[in-house]
Amino acid sequence: MPTQTPRPFYFLLIFLLAVATGCSRTPGDGSTCAACHQGLELASETHMECVSCHGGDPDESNEKASHRNMYGPKNPADPKHWDKTCGNCHPYQLDRVRANLMYTNTGMIKNAQATWEGEDGTLYATRQEQVATATGEQLELKSVAELDNLAGELYRKTCSLCHIGVDSNQVWTGSHASGCGACHFPYNDNATYQGQDPTVKGKWPHSASHKMETLPDNKVCVRCHNRSGRIALSYEGRNDGNNSLVPTRNGEPGPDIISGVRNATRIQPDIHHEKGLECIDCHTSRDIMGDGYAYENMYQQTEITCEDCHGSISERPRVEQISRENDEVLRESAHYKKRMKQGDSMVLTSKDRKYSNVFLEEEKIWVQAKRTGKLHESKVITGTPEHSIIGHERMECYACHSRTVVQCYGCHTEYDQRKLGTDYIKGVKTPGQFTETEDYRMIYPFPLALNQRGKISSVTPGCQTFVSVIDPQGEKILDEYITIFKGKQQLRFAPFFGHNTGTKAIGCSECHANPAFLGFGQHVVENDSIEATLICEKSEEKPLDGFITMNYGEVKAFSAITRENSRPFVTNEVQKIMAVNLCLVCHNDPKDPIYQKELDYNALDDCLQRSNSAVQ
Amino acid sequence: MPWTIVFSVLILLCSELPLTAVAASGQIRLEGVHSKLACADCHGADVSLTPQPSSLAVRANGCTSCHQGYDQIFDQAMTTRQAEKHFVDQTFSQVDPEFYANNCNSCHVADCLDCHGGNGHKIAGATQEECLSCHKGYFVGREYLGWAPREDHPRYQRGPKHLGERALKMRPDLHAELGMECKDCHSMKSLIAGKKSAQTCEGCHQPDPAVIEHGIAAHMDKLECYACHSAWAPQEYGSFYLRFGHNNREAEKAFKTPPLKGEYLLRTYLRKQDAPPLGINERERYSPIRPQFISYYSDLRGGEFPLVENRLLGAEWKAFFPHTIRTGTVMCDSCHDDRRRYLLEEPEDRLYRIDLDGLGLMSFWNQQGQTIHHGSFVSPEQFSQITKKDADYTKAYIKRWKNLLGHDASFSRE
Repeated sequence: MPTQTPRPFYFLLIFLLAVATGCSRTPGDGSTCAACHQGLELASETHMECVSCHGGDPDESNEKASHRNMYGPKNPADPKHWDKTCGNCHPYQLDRVRANLMYTNTGMIKNAQATWEGEDGTLYATRQEQVATATGEQLELKSVAELDNLAGELYRKTCSLCHIGVDSNQVWTGSHASGCGACHFPYNDNATYQGQDPTVKGKWPHSASHKMETLPDNKVCVRCHNRSGRIALSYEGRNDGNNSLVPTRNGEPGPDIISGVRNATRIQPDIHHEKGLECIDCHTSRDIMGDGYAYENMYQQTEITCEDCHGSISERPRVEQISRENDEVLRESAHYKKRMKQGDSMVLTSKDRKYSNVFLEEEKIWVQAKRTGKLHESKVITGTPEHSIIGHERMECYACHSRTVVQCYGCHTEYDQRKLGTDYIKGVKTPGQFTETEDYRMIYPFPLALNQRGKISSVTPGCQTFVSVIDPQGEKILDEYITIFKGKQQLRFAPFFGHNTGTKAIGCSECHANPAFLGFGQHVVENDSIEATLICEKSEEKPLDGFITMNYGEVKAFSAITRENSRPFVTNEVQKIMAVNLCLVCHNDPKDPIYQKELDYNALDDCLQRSNSAVQ
Repeated sequence: MPWTIVFSVLILLCSELPLTAVAASGQIRLEGVHSKLACADCHGADVSLTPQPSSLAVRANGCTSCHQGYDQIFDQAMTTRQAEKHFVDQTFSQVDPEFYANNCNSCHVADCLDCHGGNGHKIAGATQEECLSCHKGYFVGREYLGWAPREDHPRYQRGPKHLGERALKMRPDLHAELGMECKDCHSMKSLIAGKKSAQTCEGCHQPDPAVIEHGIAAHMDKLECYACHSAWAPQEYGSFYLRFGHNNREAEKAFKTPPLKGEYLLRTYLRKQDAPPLGINERERYSPIRPQFISYYSDLRGGEFPLVENRLLGAEWKAFFPHTIRTGTVMCDSCHDDRRRYLLEEPEDRLYRIDLDGLGLMSFWNQQGQTIHHGSFVSPEQFSQITKKDADYTKAYIKRWKNLLGHDASFSRE
């Protein structure tokens, strides 16, 4: 019978092994790496050994020889190496990120195709990847380098700088590393290292520090999410308005310069930002890093909805207890101040998965700010009369609760084949340069239409692209061409949550009595016709800032709303929305009981008729 | 100037010829309504004394022998530009005494020919293009044809050019669509009399009492027609005059602008093109108003000139008449339920936080810290009156919406 080894011996053995493998508080203890990179921040307390991430030779004192077999050498988290580095320990996370839209950009490429040559039945990604769809089918995403047309060019020469497959080093406030490092080793505004290692200090391009951000802050998100929908800007109360670069700051363009020499001015921020919540407090890691399945659009990958925390009209937030010891919530919340434990009732996302930081306690819903640990009570609206208005069950919360929605009208894209443009995917300059000019930007009022959930949502141009192509001989072979979408030449709007939420909703009359909210653009009304005042250069009849017209009571749409099942309002809906004004002029309180049942639009007439006959 | 002397001599030589002026270098042919005049008819016997008989310098004495009294145009706003001078005196002169001379002087009338045919031998009635060569940009004029100023940054300077300016396509004035030109309302007689126009709306139009809004007495008593019928107007919120000095290529590059002609770059914080706010004008009627101007001054010349930044020189509004008339109007709530349209926005309703950008005002749409010339802002008491939803209002409101919903606005019971 073997002698039973005393328990303390195991602990001692583990301790010695840990020291021998470099698992101490000093990075790369005893390695030549540590000897040179003195002062370099620890990536984290669990990421101690230099070579386990970076490779290289920790015993070689010659710099070149020591660095020779490094992964990167700067960024071992780059997709070229991530299966051997980060993914070696975190295969679950890496598998998710490989199918993640922020990496593949499949949706963005698909939409670029839809705008230009049309979709070709193939799905592309920033690199070739073998992924699985949410229905469990295997799917090969082709590399976008093979998409040999204008859509591919556009993606590779413009959009591709903002996916995490490649790094971006030369964009003021907009640079980021590639791979996992894009979010977890954040760059500063000019991509230079500002930490304590004198051998790297001030060098470019590097992350600002070698300390890993387990829970990235908003600055990380804003480095990319500051264009197009500009959600990270709007959330913080910043507006990329008209690029006027005023007011100036210290004699320079101001007040706050962001990538592309644009300036951000101030608007009222999102209420969640005002309360101290950051992007990652609402967005789950599955929203951001993917859930392992490949989606074609971000709205399919995103699992959170407002109703998850605030409840719907009929149902309070849904919860589920943590019952297993390997629940993801336990692992993820290990990094939070308040660690969740078995038995806790966690709030569920729209995909029935648990939030790691939103829970039910003493009949209240609490949101834990992941980085600070601060607890915020989430107000539940279920059953409140102002949210139980019949008809409004079709509305997205943000159709009423958006303060502003960013809208950029008229995107005039020119592709000039006489000039060279950088292909960021292929890493070379090739003939063909894209430039863009615009017509008009605004943030309020904003139009509404039906989205892919069949709900009424704010929409924004997505996109009103007018294409011009100049061939190598200088001939304009396309001039302000409107591309084909769903079989016909038309501009497009896209359902969009502007991330500028307010507690106070848009008022009843503010929306019902202003046809601009229905998609007519700024306008005047004559009898039963609505006449746009900001108009498309190509058609006097059509608003630039809208997508429907009304002539003699008949509503016609001329732009598409992207996504399946999405569409503008039709005549009958427009009439019903406007007919509510007949009630609102007296019943202007959203809590009024008349709105708690189906509105009888003829009630007023019936009433007037009765009073007339009584008089007679 | 030698060429002036040569010209004068030529004129003198030709002065006896009735139809065609002949000169050593060629012919001067008179065209248009004046083609049958002799040189002396305009230039007098001694041409050297009046080489430019239509100019302000001689109070157009070559013209006034026939067009008596028309020299009074030189006493009116287009020449004196009192309002502009006054504005600059109150604002920019404090920081740049030469501002008016260097920046505002190109658009004043100093000669009949400025509007009437250029070279003097083709005199004709003023064309719309001649009017719009000055009445451009932010100043009332080009919106009549449906053109609005674009954003300042080169990114927005695209699309068709109209009289040398890139413009945003807007709905033109109905009168322009019907072929009417400036002169059809703005006659010479009205201009020399110091009136803005010869015609009023009421002069041509009898308001149709069948129109619901016309049936409301307060509308007819208190509103300018164009308070409702001006469909849109360019509005400039925060006009930043950045003084670069001359040939400051570094600053031009930083602010992404092509080389400047003068010392200043104008950048607007925010532009809007929708129905403008309302105030009360000199006639004590409700009228569209707009900033003219909420102006800021920055001295970015560097060197010996100390940095001055974003100094608010004045936040002035003006009652005006946007020439964007349409038969239609905005709906009732746009005026009767919108505090912003009267610059009465509550702090908690602000969307733009210009206070946080250091613009020295709490909001563009709040009267605090702002003034209006020759008129007044709508007071909170007046606003309460406007938003009072009494029985008459309710009846008219319902009628108006029913009108929009169509005459058969009954809904089938499902």
